[in-house]
Amino acid sequence: MPFVTVRHYTEADIPARIGLLREPRFTANLIDFAVLNDDGTLEARQRRTINELHDSMRIFTLCGPKGVVLGYAWITSIDWRSQCCELSFGILPRYRGAFGAAAVAAAHAYIRAELNMRVTINQVLEHNTMLVSAQSLAERRQVRCEYDSYTVGEWRTACYWTETEQDLARDLDRMAERRREIADRIRAETTEQQ
Amino acid sequence: MTGTTIARLDTAAAVAGLRALPPEAARGFFDLDPVTQNDALLAKEIDRTGVQLYSCGETLLGCRPNPDHPRQAQVASTSSAPEPLRALLGSLGTYQRCTSFFALVPQDSPVAAAFESCGFGRVGTLPEHLFHSGRYRDVVIYYATRGDTCLS
Repeated sequence: MPFVTVRHYTEADIPARIGLLREPRFTANLIDFAVLNDDGTLEARQRRTINELHDSMRIFTLCGPKGVVLGYAWITSIDWRSQCCELSFGILPRYRGAFGAAAVAAAHAYIRAELNMRVTINQVLEHNTMLVSAQSLAERRQVRCEYDSYTVGEWRTACYWTETEQDLARDLDRMAERRREIADRIRAETTEQQ
Repeated sequence: MTGTTIARLDTAAAVAGLRALPPEAARGFFDLDPVTQNDALLAKEIDRTGVQLYSCGETLLGCRPNPDHPRQAQVASTSSAPEPLRALLGSLGTYQRCTSFFALVPQDSPVAAAFESCGFGRVGTLPEHLFHSGRYRDVVIYYATRGDTCLS
């Protein structure tokens, strides 16, 4: 798996993350509020997160070789006493295939080993199969919530589940398998075209 | 600046100094942790706790008077070398009339060597007091009077 490191999100990271927040697949798969807000508003929100919201939300920058920024992870709904939080990801489009699974693993490792979190809560909109296949999502979900989010003109159904360290090890194996499946499919399609 | 000249740091300079250190030297320095705290949170914690920070060459030093005993100070260093710590203790004795010192040092921290060289004794252990790198770690309590440090 490629090497990914986690560092604190800084004010210098804000412009690139705003770009990601407005990327079409991000807006459909996570949340589309960035399309409705100007740069100044988005920047102010993120500055507030960096400078004030340490107890309730934190953003991290995920880096690949030579410190190149691959994307971001952020934790919300932090319950320090219960050692659980919701963990979300936004990987830059050009790095999704190569680094997606490694970035997820690195973020999980950081919040468990350094922030002492025991359980993470995951939310994935049902149509989003970028990191989790539809079959795997159906197996993992503990709650299925219709009309959970309205993104890019459509109501979306969300799947929620919790994840312990043991669950994570199993899910990372599945994620790697999913990545192989997609790579095999692309290779097969390319061969057919030739 | 010589190896034993200490200079008071403002909060921004202290944060930059902590960020530049290897994690093993910075972690446990007055409960500050550059690995889990961003610059804004480090600054907030420094201001909230009233820690006074100094530099001595590349070493960061800190002290915080005990509010219940103004002649006693909690001290910390990021170096295993005794000279910077000795310079801090001398300054605290001279300018703040401190008569005793204590420190909380993570178990197995290389910084412990500086305290032992400066006459500090291990007076207790806080079991599993600190968490980082995936497990809980003991913290050792060091104590010295001004006489123990050979500064009187």
